[in-house]
Amino acid sequence: MKVNPQSFFNFCANHATLLRSLADHGGEISEADAMRLIRANPSTVEELPETAWRRLCELQILIPTEPGSEVFLMADPVARLLTYLFNEANPATPEMIRGYVLSLETTGKRLARALDEENVQQVKLAFEEVGLALRRIHADLNETQHAILAEVARYKTERSRVTVREKYRRIVHWMERYVEPMIDIVRADGPLRAAFDETERLLQRAREDALFNDHPALARNLRFLRLVGVHALRVFTQCRKEIQPLYESLRRSSFIAEGAARALEKLQAEGLSKWGNEHLIGISVWRFQNVPGDAAISLALRRVIEHPPEPPPVLEFAAEREDPGELVRLMWLDSLSELVREELPVEDLMGWLLKKYPARNTADVLAGFSGLVFHRDFQATFTDKKLIAYQTTDGEIEASPLILTST
Amino acid sequence: MNELPHLANIFDRLKRGCHLGPDDEPEFSALSARPKEYAGYFAGIGLTLVHHERDFFYFEPDNPEAVPDTLPRIAVFSYIIIDHAANQGRPIEEFIFGQNFLVTNLPHFSLDRYSALMRQVDVHDFGDLRALLNRMEQIGWVKVKGLGEDEFRFLRPFHRVFSKCLELAQPPEITQANASQPVET
Repeated sequence: MKVNPQSFFNFCANHATLLRSLADHGGEISEADAMRLIRANPSTVEELPETAWRRLCELQILIPTEPGSEVFLMADPVARLLTYLFNEANPATPEMIRGYVLSLETTGKRLARALDEENVQQVKLAFEEVGLALRRIHADLNETQHAILAEVARYKTERSRVTVREKYRRIVHWMERYVEPMIDIVRADGPLRAAFDETERLLQRAREDALFNDHPALARNLRFLRLVGVHALRVFTQCRKEIQPLYESLRRSSFIAEGAARALEKLQAEGLSKWGNEHLIGISVWRFQNVPGDAAISLALRRVIEHPPEPPPVLEFAAEREDPGELVRLMWLDSLSELVREELPVEDLMGWLLKKYPARNTADVLAGFSGLVFHRDFQATFTDKKLIAYQTTDGEIEASPLILTST
Repeated sequence: MNELPHLANIFDRLKRGCHLGPDDEPEFSALSARPKEYAGYFAGIGLTLVHHERDFFYFEPDNPEAVPDTLPRIAVFSYIIIDHAANQGRPIEEFIFGQNFLVTNLPHFSLDRYSALMRQVDVHDFGDLRALLNRMEQIGWVKVKGLGEDEFRFLRPFHRVFSKCLELAQPPEITQANASQPVET
């Protein structure tokens, strides 16, 4: 069904924002979604949304994806027109450029045959086809560059809540879908350059064989051929330069985000006890244990400094001595518990000791006294009775009596 | 060796876990001017001075059997801010280093999931977060003092967290291969 141009453009004039929204939506769209866009972008003239929807279909702006389908697409010619009007660009795919290369190769073969057969008409036709292919390549290259630059700018300015990892996936798509394969095609030793070289050789031959007399047009085509070749490489090198820093930055960010997400997922799933040290960022910290404080160090030093000098002990090694004094003293101290046990309870332990062993000096008496006080078999009870002065062989001990009983 | 400038200060700060970056003058300039000499000096007493690829210094940590409580807290705090940054769609390093943060605007209690993760490391409210940030300031990862009330910013040594994230994002075999190769001066 033919579309009336007058009706088409009248509708477009009144629904520019709606058409823009439909173009931005891209891909397939249901009637319900289309109606939402219609309501969100009302016409400049008063009109029911249902009318707008009907006109979109009648004017073949939206067409069903297949006969009878309830899912719609923007018709390709309309989409291209809108792209042109809104100064937007669609990138050429590597397959499209490969198609042009193939087309140039086929045309080249026909041109070569026409030159061999000296068929002027075929040479002319082939020449026109070469020119057309070159213009298409040039236009597509420009559009691709435009699209890539717009995409890079969009990434840099976009404030929508698209995650870093999602952005990275998209930029990887651009890099892998358009930029890298295209550079493989257009580089100096790639298929585009080879096709251009062959075409240039044939055009030169046509001029030399005088089979094509429009020399200015021939020169123009040759110049254009060289220009497109250089332009193609420059466009994609520039695109790669534009996109590469973004790609690197997003790649790094994506990996950082992935690492953090993995760590958090593991913590969430397995808990802190199983999280493991591999998720921690180690920090060097000296951990001091049992370190003396300044006061303790001062005290120790003071004790060393103030300790009265005394000669080192002299060990007696003579075996013939029968009464080693220290051993005898130790045996006496050990015997005290058995001796006192027979006389318990003792009302005045110190008095008992001095009465039993009046020849012992103060140190011996005190050693015996403390041994009995802390002995596990006896119970010592301090009293607050009147102080008694106990006389020893080398001094005097003043203390209240201490009662010793068995436990 | 005795002529190494600011040696006592540098040692004192590094041994307490501090990272020395461009915000730590004059110690950072001294280290940057003679990194190998400082590293040699510290190697003599059994300490490894690490010069990170992003140009800051720290002592290589031991692997202590007893992990201080602050390490998991710092790790969870850091991973959450990175997760949040990733959801904003901006390059993470630009997000982290490109602005000052308000403690009360931090995302750590904005989602139930984040709150639950913080609870696992005993961080329950903004007061706990402030205490954690103070500890992070002590180790040179954030700057709190001298900024506005409740405000802080991340410092360059926070790159250690990014390095850890990149390590965690790698397949295990690559991680193991890299684990024995610290970036050393």
